[in-house]
Amino acid sequence: MLTYIAKRLLLTLPTLLLVSVGVFLFIRLIPGDPALVMLGDGADAASLAGLRADLGLDRPLPVQYVTWLGHAVRGDLGRSIFSGEPVGTLILQHFGLTAVVVLTAVTFATLVAIAAGLIAAWRQNSKVDLAIVGAATVVLAVPSFWLGLLLLLLFGVKLGWLPFVGYVPFSESAAQAALFLVMPIVTLTITESGVLTRMMRASSLDVLHLDYVTHARAKGLPESTVLLRHVFPNAFAPTLTLVGLTLGHLLGGVAVIETVFTLPGLGRLMVDSVLSRDYPVVQVCLLFTAVVYVLVNLLVDLCYPIFDPRVTAR
Amino acid sequence: MRILGSLLVLGTLLIAFPAGAQSLLRARLNSDIVSTDPGTRRDENTDGVLLHIVEGLVGSREDGSVGPMLASRWSISADGRVYTFTLRPDVVFHNGAPLTSAEVVWSLQRYLKPETRWRCLEVLGPTGNAPVTSVTARDAHTVEITLARPAPIFLTTLARADCGATGIMHPDSVRADGSWNGPIGTGPFQLGEWRHNQFIQLKRFPRYAALEGPRDGNVGGKHALVDELRFMIVPDSSAARAALIRGSLDVIDHLYPSDLMGIRGRQDLQFQSVPILDCYTVLIQTQDPVLQDVRVRTALALSIDTKALTKAITQGSGSPNNSPIPAASPFYGAVEARMRPVDVARARQLLAASGYHGQVIRLVTSRRDPQMFDTAIVFQAMAAQAGLNVQIELVDWPAHLARYTTGNYQLMVQSFSPRLDPTLSFGLFIGDKRTEPRKVWDSSHARELLDEATQAADPVARQAVMDQLNVDFMDEAPAVVLFNSARLSVVRAAVTGHRNWLSAQPRLWGVGLH
Repeated sequence: MLTYIAKRLLLTLPTLLLVSVGVFLFIRLIPGDPALVMLGDGADAASLAGLRADLGLDRPLPVQYVTWLGHAVRGDLGRSIFSGEPVGTLILQHFGLTAVVVLTAVTFATLVAIAAGLIAAWRQNSKVDLAIVGAATVVLAVPSFWLGLLLLLLFGVKLGWLPFVGYVPFSESAAQAALFLVMPIVTLTITESGVLTRMMRASSLDVLHLDYVTHARAKGLPESTVLLRHVFPNAFAPTLTLVGLTLGHLLGGVAVIETVFTLPGLGRLMVDSVLSRDYPVVQVCLLFTAVVYVLVNLLVDLCYPIFDPRVTAR
Repeated sequence: MRILGSLLVLGTLLIAFPAGAQSLLRARLNSDIVSTDPGTRRDENTDGVLLHIVEGLVGSREDGSVGPMLASRWSISADGRVYTFTLRPDVVFHNGAPLTSAEVVWSLQRYLKPETRWRCLEVLGPTGNAPVTSVTARDAHTVEITLARPAPIFLTTLARADCGATGIMHPDSVRADGSWNGPIGTGPFQLGEWRHNQFIQLKRFPRYAALEGPRDGNVGGKHALVDELRFMIVPDSSAARAALIRGSLDVIDHLYPSDLMGIRGRQDLQFQSVPILDCYTVLIQTQDPVLQDVRVRTALALSIDTKALTKAITQGSGSPNNSPIPAASPFYGAVEARMRPVDVARARQLLAASGYHGQVIRLVTSRRDPQMFDTAIVFQAMAAQAGLNVQIELVDWPAHLARYTTGNYQLMVQSFSPRLDPTLSFGLFIGDKRTEPRKVWDSSHARELLDEATQAADPVARQAVMDQLNVDFMDEAPAVVLFNSARLSVVRAAVTGHRNWLSAQPRLWGVGLH
């Protein structure tokens, strides 16, 4: 197992190197100049040139890349051009919040999807199935920002139950922070549960038609036991893959949700950095996202044997 | 459900009103500030926040003229080159140190160093219109600034908001190694905490010595009426409006007309619209093969119904204006008020005479603010009536800025923040393209007139030059100026004393809560 993990991790290195080259080049290919964004539209040429030199942007691209990579390998990920803060610290601060929102939401969404998908498959073509499939389809079609705004208007403005502007970090007050996170988590749970439910239903239907399920029923096992002990483990594996992909994708930042609820997460950091051409932050953000994606999917792969022992056997 | 609701409301109230809370005023910013170093790494939000912390020798008054701030008075030598400022004796910095000439000299000398990258160095530096040759302390409360040549624009430049009002700061604002630490100014508020992308907290400075009299631009009656001022970063305008209604925000200081949808007319909110000295325009690249012909540029200008465009874009809140001098400026006279008539037939004749045969003309715009994009849409439609084939190219703001600075466009929608001095308004357009590619009006005659206006101290003489520049600008059409907008603000009913003025910066001194 350890050899497998080591191999997988080793294989990520060339991926990350390619990502770093791609990100480094692409962000610089987009028109726009961080020095200009910092000094504004009336900046004189001498000031611009001076600031570019200070930021090292006047050097040839290969030199800039090698310098950055050299520092990154030694653990120095650079500083934000705008705030001057170390990029590593900045990303970890913002990632913490995104991780809490995403992990909680995906956990809830998965639980909802397992229950709804199993029930829908079990009662295929019934009204319950129709209702679940319909709801999942509607949820899939609803944009997250729109749903977020609806929740914000209902629970934030109309009922006044939940705060949504002026986020308080956990380090200051866990209770207050939790209140701020209710709406973003609910929004994300709802939007992500749609696709997971559809997947869970489809895979459950496949399993329900297999011989061993018929056999289990023929033995006289209760339907709940058939579903939970025999159908669920086999049907969950494909959904788990999707959970992994969703997690990896969302942990890279949920910019829209973070903007609507004014949460200082990784997505907003990335969007703001792209819009201000804060190269060091954009580079490390994307690289960090790639690492998270790889690690989450590795973790999901390692979880497969729990649900499907045939994976270990193979 | 009811218990859950009650618990949530209780939790929310605890957040809104923590035990022992002091008065707190919360205002929205649509994006974070760039730095805390005035007039250097900056944008409009940065200027607005920092002008609550720092003050200059002089400042802008309500009508855009220059008034005393840290200097109680000043005199100008007979040759117009030496300015002698007498400092107010009652001023202290946020660290408790008294204001003396030493801090003024230190601050000005720091600004004038090229490595500080101060925005006004282009005016007050060696190559500027008002080059400063020396800053010296005559005594503890008298400072003498000498210019290489007379320049009436000098005081206006010192007061410019985009130059941080040339804020005088204590030397401890900078660390021993020369790096920036934080602003130790003399303003009514001092910097508390800056939590990136969340908020900037300012605290009332209890020892602030306000100038007597009513609130006057950036100078008079600057009383901090709340203990804490918090600029909250809320990028999404829908969320900001909801927060205002809910009571999580007290002030939204800068809205676009489209943002008023859904809140217009609410009794629990106060609405305000004040004309400001900004300028929305379509810049023309006069070196472009198609647009270098003045007939094509004039045709473009003649095809635009400025009044209709302004009404559509600003929903009636803006002022249609074809002059670079904003309609609310004291220098906006009869000549500037003349609007170019819409004449599509004449535009077609000019295009035919120029040999224009439908070549694509690209109009660069961005969504930096909704009015810039909307302007491009309406402009394109109006120009099409005259047979002009304008195609819109949408880019993001950094790309827009880069192309503006390098002159890499045919047409470009651009908005300029308020300039209180009329020469600065024309200065946005006039210049040598070889050294300043962003300038659209590269005419030696215009440059001479601008120099003349910069040197003219007499307002009547200045107005005459401005009028001439305006006539030439309309004839040569290096840009199509469209409108000046209004600063729309919405505040909660509990907020008292909030009033905007010609400048586009938030001004939250003199603002309190019931």
